[in-house]
Amino acid sequence: MSDDAKDEAPSDEESGSGNGSAGPPIIELKGIGKTYYRGKERLDVLKDLDLTIAEGSFEALMGPSGSGKSTLLNLIAGLDTASTGTIRVAGADLNAMSDGERAKWRASTIGFVFQTYNLMPVLTALENVELPLLLTNLGSAERKTRAKTALKVVGLEDRMDHHPRQLSGGQEQRVTIARAIVTDPKIIVADEPTGDLDRENADEILNLLDKLNQEFNKTIVMVTHDPAAADRATQLRQLDKGALK
Amino acid sequence: MNLGTLAVKNVLRNKTRTIMTVVAVAVALVAFILLQTVLTAWTAAADAAAKDRIASRHKVSWVMSLPLKYVSDIEQVPGVQKAAPFVWFGGKDPNHEDEFFATIAVDPPKFLEVYDEIQVEPAEREEWLQNRRGALVGDVIAKKLGWKVGDKVTIVGQIYGGDWEFHVSGIYTAKRRSVDRSTLWFHWDYLNESLSGRRKDQVGWIVARIDDPGRSAEISKAIDAKFEERDIQTLTMSERALQTSFLGMVSAVLKALNVVSFVILLIMVLILGNTVAMGVRERTNEYGVLRAIGFMPKHIVAFVLGEAVTIGALGAIVGIALSYPMVERGLGRFIEENMGSYFPYFRIAPSTLVTAAVLAMALGLVAAAIPAFRASKLDVVDSLRRVG
Repeated sequence: MSDDAKDEAPSDEESGSGNGSAGPPIIELKGIGKTYYRGKERLDVLKDLDLTIAEGSFEALMGPSGSGKSTLLNLIAGLDTASTGTIRVAGADLNAMSDGERAKWRASTIGFVFQTYNLMPVLTALENVELPLLLTNLGSAERKTRAKTALKVVGLEDRMDHHPRQLSGGQEQRVTIARAIVTDPKIIVADEPTGDLDRENADEILNLLDKLNQEFNKTIVMVTHDPAAADRATQLRQLDKGALK
Repeated sequence: MNLGTLAVKNVLRNKTRTIMTVVAVAVALVAFILLQTVLTAWTAAADAAAKDRIASRHKVSWVMSLPLKYVSDIEQVPGVQKAAPFVWFGGKDPNHEDEFFATIAVDPPKFLEVYDEIQVEPAEREEWLQNRRGALVGDVIAKKLGWKVGDKVTIVGQIYGGDWEFHVSGIYTAKRRSVDRSTLWFHWDYLNESLSGRRKDQVGWIVARIDDPGRSAEISKAIDAKFEERDIQTLTMSERALQTSFLGMVSAVLKALNVVSFVILLIMVLILGNTVAMGVRERTNEYGVLRAIGFMPKHIVAFVLGEAVTIGALGAIVGIALSYPMVERGLGRFIEENMGSYFPYFRIAPSTLVTAAVLAMALGLVAAAIPAFRASKLDVVDSLRRVG
């Protein structure tokens, strides 16, 4: 973590609350703007947005479609760059990094959970979870051990040889979460993690995210339309027309 | 699991499409291998030519003859061991009008000395040397036309008209591929005694065996120099050059075949490129996920290229597995027996198989280059938005 991040304590409004393990800021966005151009048409998706998220918090981002939630999540995750402003996440200045540097940074710092799971259909659950570890220097046996541990955390140790098509939606999402945590990242970003699930499976996934936050002290930033999902977060933020309300 | 595992597993993802593509690549390679084998078979005689033989012909053209005396003149050139005359007779078997085989008049003792790779039973050899109307026949054409030792055969002369009767004195094989096993050799004396005027005592070309293959060019020069001041000059060349000059007449066809074989490979590239491009398009979202979790553009390139090389390698394996037995166990023998004059040895050269396998994989890389480049340049966020 950078000195800047250590020095600046989050305000009550900005930082996560209600989580005993919430710590110093891990995500700091200042004056963020994101503009897209569709032909000559200018589209300001995010406007002069400031946001600070404390380490160990569980944040939910809500808002109507087109409000900029996913864009904000992509910026935090280092998938995209801001048009204006500065982004510091886990001590790194994302706007100052090259594409390659951001890719390496993502591999070690961010775990991704997508709405549509996005598992590789040709790989087994174990191989899917092992995938991010291929970018590390770990040996094959160690990679397998870690992947098995991650699957155990999400309660799928008995499904490791199954392919995604042999799993239910809830199980697929749990594999995605195992893949997200296998590299032990500080932050997990989840884009509508329960969007494709029924209530029962959605609750299981939310329990799992809770567990990761409470027991493993992962900082979780979740975009959701689901009020029940938002209720699990320790901090709820509403986004509208590119600005936090 | 490693990075290659994903590429290989992706190949088997759409089995029908992969099988169709592998079959297409294999068929293209079979065509390539067969065409290349035609080319190597056609030039096999030249490739197998003896290095210690040189041939002299009329300086102007093959169709013009040399005086018989030139044979003994050439034998006097230092470095020449023995010289043998040849005359292209151009005969046909009236019972097999469509069957082409060479009929050549030679001086038997000299011929057998200069072409010592000819193999014939001693008794048959003796019979041929003694019998003025004797013919030495290649085993391939003898088998095809049903000729046996002792048979009388009638050949119709195309250049030297009339019916010519021969006794099959012997059937030969050869130790070297430079000798066509579909030729009928007979006594030059038998031909010459029937000729008169300017056609008498003439030969078509003269082949000499030399004592030092390293002096081939020097001796050839000396022979040509010997006749420089005479009415008829010679052009002397190595046996390989002689064979190649025969090929020169069909060089355009050979070039066309070579071009066609590479056009086939180009079609293979397009088929493979299309398959890879479809796969990349379908997996855009997955590449987005890989990029999101930290894979670099170079990894995406490796996945795509790995997939294409795998398909190319599978196509090469199938193509070689089909073409090798096809030629070795059927087609090769059939062609040698039925088209022996053109293809005395029709077998796939190991270098052709290696070339085909390497090209299949290399062209797989070429075919996948553009899709791989595009996949590596995909915007991560845009890719994640795409479904399926």
